[in-house]
Amino acid sequence: MEIDRDDGRTPNQLRPLACSRNILHRAHGSASWSQGDTKVLAAVYGPKAGTKKNENPEKACIEVIWKPKTGQIGKLEKEYEMILKRTLQSISILTINRNTTTSVIIQVVHDDGSLLTCAINAACAALVDAGIPMKHLAVAICCCLTEGGYVILDPTKLEEQKMKGFAYLVFPNSIHSVLPEGSLLVEGEAVEHGIITSVTHGLMSVEEYLNCLERGRAASAKLSDFLRKSIKLQLPTDSFKS
Amino acid sequence: MASKPGSAPTTYTPTPTRKSRPPIFKDSDVDWVRPDGRGFHQCRPAFFRTGAVNAAAGSAYAEFGNTKVIVSVFGPRESKKAMMYSDVGRLNCNVSYTTFATPVRGQGSDHKEFSSMLHKALEGAIMLETFPKTTVDVFALVLESGGSDIPVVISCASLALADAGIMMYDLVAGVSVSCLGTNLVIDPILEEESCQDGNLMMTCMPSRYEVTQLTVTGEWSSAKMNEAMQLCLDACSKLATIMRSCLKEAASATQD
Amino acid sequence: MGLPNVSGDLSAEMEVDAFRRLFPLRFYERHLADSIRPDARPLGRARDTTMALGAVASADGSALTKIGSTTMLAAIKMEVMTPSTDSPDEGCIAIDFHMPPICSPIVRPGRPAEAAPVVSKQLSDTILSSGMIDLKELSLVSGKAAWMAYLDIYCLDADGALFDCALLSAVAAFSNLQIPVVSLNDDGKIVVVSEEGEEGKLEKEPVNKEKRKLTLRSLPFSLTCILHKNYILADPTAEEESIMETLVTVVLDSSSRLVSFYKPGGPVLAYTSAVQDCVALTRQRVKELQKILDEAVSGMEID
Repeated sequence: MEIDRDDGRTPNQLRPLACSRNILHRAHGSASWSQGDTKVLAAVYGPKAGTKKNENPEKACIEVIWKPKTGQIGKLEKEYEMILKRTLQSISILTINRNTTTSVIIQVVHDDGSLLTCAINAACAALVDAGIPMKHLAVAICCCLTEGGYVILDPTKLEEQKMKGFAYLVFPNSIHSVLPEGSLLVEGEAVEHGIITSVTHGLMSVEEYLNCLERGRAASAKLSDFLRKSIKLQLPTDSFKS
Repeated sequence: MASKPGSAPTTYTPTPTRKSRPPIFKDSDVDWVRPDGRGFHQCRPAFFRTGAVNAAAGSAYAEFGNTKVIVSVFGPRESKKAMMYSDVGRLNCNVSYTTFATPVRGQGSDHKEFSSMLHKALEGAIMLETFPKTTVDVFALVLESGGSDIPVVISCASLALADAGIMMYDLVAGVSVSCLGTNLVIDPILEEESCQDGNLMMTCMPSRYEVTQLTVTGEWSSAKMNEAMQLCLDACSKLATIMRSCLKEAASATQD
Repeated sequence: MGLPNVSGDLSAEMEVDAFRRLFPLRFYERHLADSIRPDARPLGRARDTTMALGAVASADGSALTKIGSTTMLAAIKMEVMTPSTDSPDEGCIAIDFHMPPICSPIVRPGRPAEAAPVVSKQLSDTILSSGMIDLKELSLVSGKAAWMAYLDIYCLDADGALFDCALLSAVAAFSNLQIPVVSLNDDGKIVVVSEEGEEGKLEKEPVNKEKRKLTLRSLPFSLTCILHKNYILADPTAEEESIMETLVTVVLDSSSRLVSFYKPGGPVLAYTSAVQDCVALTRQRVKELQKILDEAVSGMEID
């Protein structure tokens, strides 16, 4: 495949990842996540008593507040808040802390493409840090579709603008289980191949979308290994926290 | 290119595209015709329908010429947390316009003055003591403004209240009259309202012969005022018949 | 939900309405097991859809659409703006979605609904990225004047699948749009040329020759589905949306290209087979909606 990326990456190559947790000491949980120059800080407060109006009090409620790097929050940020909220709700176990609200605050430090995916990864790590009960983790990846129909992963802002379309995809992390391989398949597909969240922009054919899914799944395995490793690394240090 | 269109909105300077206002049709005393060809004391054909909004406890749609409004009623439901205890029910009213309701695009914001007028017009007709501690919300949206908006909103709201099963002493019908020179025109349209010398709006409960609200603007002689009030009272009772038959139709339709 | 066994015992003697309220999920699952929904629809069927064009006289283009009881009123008002220097030959479209307090018990005046800005953003993304409208057609005088099309969509009754109904009304309003004939006056302002063509006056040459319509290329249509266990429910009502929370919205254009595949979280994961099923359901729905729109447009031409 002949695609030249400005930073010399191959189409499937992600930018260098970095994740650190427990970086804010007032928050109940926090994490920063960066992919290349895109960096997002997530802080978790709660669970606090009571749910907001129009929320189901029989379940735990998650509220997401998006803080852009500069300026006011607009429709785009509102959409991000809603996507994050729904995504985090679907990976958390909401029936344990019923009638509580957990706030997740997302602070954008720098945006150089794939911002929403970076924020989802950061929020996920922060929830782990806060000890919020979760079914599994989530890994998010941004796939871009070039004019020629090629897929490139983890685009920078410049690449995002040149593209025909892109898809933000969120998958569950790969499960390490004692059960024999193959017992965790759903309709012949591994659990980690199921889409939690998908947001697309731009025209593409259905085949191209499925192609994006394929690539996204392959990359999500790498991301999920990284997330697992970075969580394990810091476990001994914060074990006294609870 | 398709990635993030419209993320940088351009600054725009919308120029009013209207070149000439419609010619002023008012020549004092001379026989002029109303823009829609009605007689001076003739109302626009009224159309009412209840049950326009399924999500609401009760609702109604009203169309008088180009004036089109929808009113939804919610409740009786829990009052706002900050509210004090009250042994009678509360009425909460809100009137808003769509951005395309007026000839020049508006902001689509709440109309505070009309909201309080609607509240005052309905308050006297509702048996508030039948739902203590709770609130009934009456929300109106003017889809298109074609003149005489507030009387239409009030009539439509009383129909929506009836549809919601809120106890009332009687239906409230509202009609307004414009004073143009020496003439009185009933149920004025937007064009007529824009060049009127005075306006009188009356809402009443025709079966009880009681007035719930009377608003007068401009200069009126007492003779004129009497004439206008009589016109309004007659029109209100006719309007109430139409409203009542609309309710009866809806009730017989559900029985079948 | 937490007491499945109890509900099983009670259901025999409980009234249907009470059962529906107390154990909504069980209520639905019993229906789904028989491949039917409480409103008598099969799982993959959308609700009845109607459309009326030109519903608002004060707008340049408008449409009222209903999917089941979900009702949307869309209207376009054309105003003039100075185009930006980056794109002197392009007009602009501003799309806003409103949820006034009349549409649902959860919206209160002064406190806008949470969903409204999100749907609004989704709509502009979809309409702009579908390439339905060529912004160049909105240009009047290069670099000096262009149309700003304000599209406002009001939700009059909210009963699920808000985005689908809003998108349908938006597309219908654009196909109903009649651009007014205008000319440039001596002050460099754009003025409306009166339709009767008053003779004798020093009318400037109209900038846009006749009452024009936009050429709409490949219209986007959408279908929202609920994923629940292995079931896929097309075009959910508000009740269904609140009970089964995994929603997938697929937008396809008339030539079956994917404009958007939107799944904001939800407890059920979408596997490739579910993705393909949703796309297939949407393909069918696009044909239905295209037919409804064509009928409405040809109905207007006869009048």
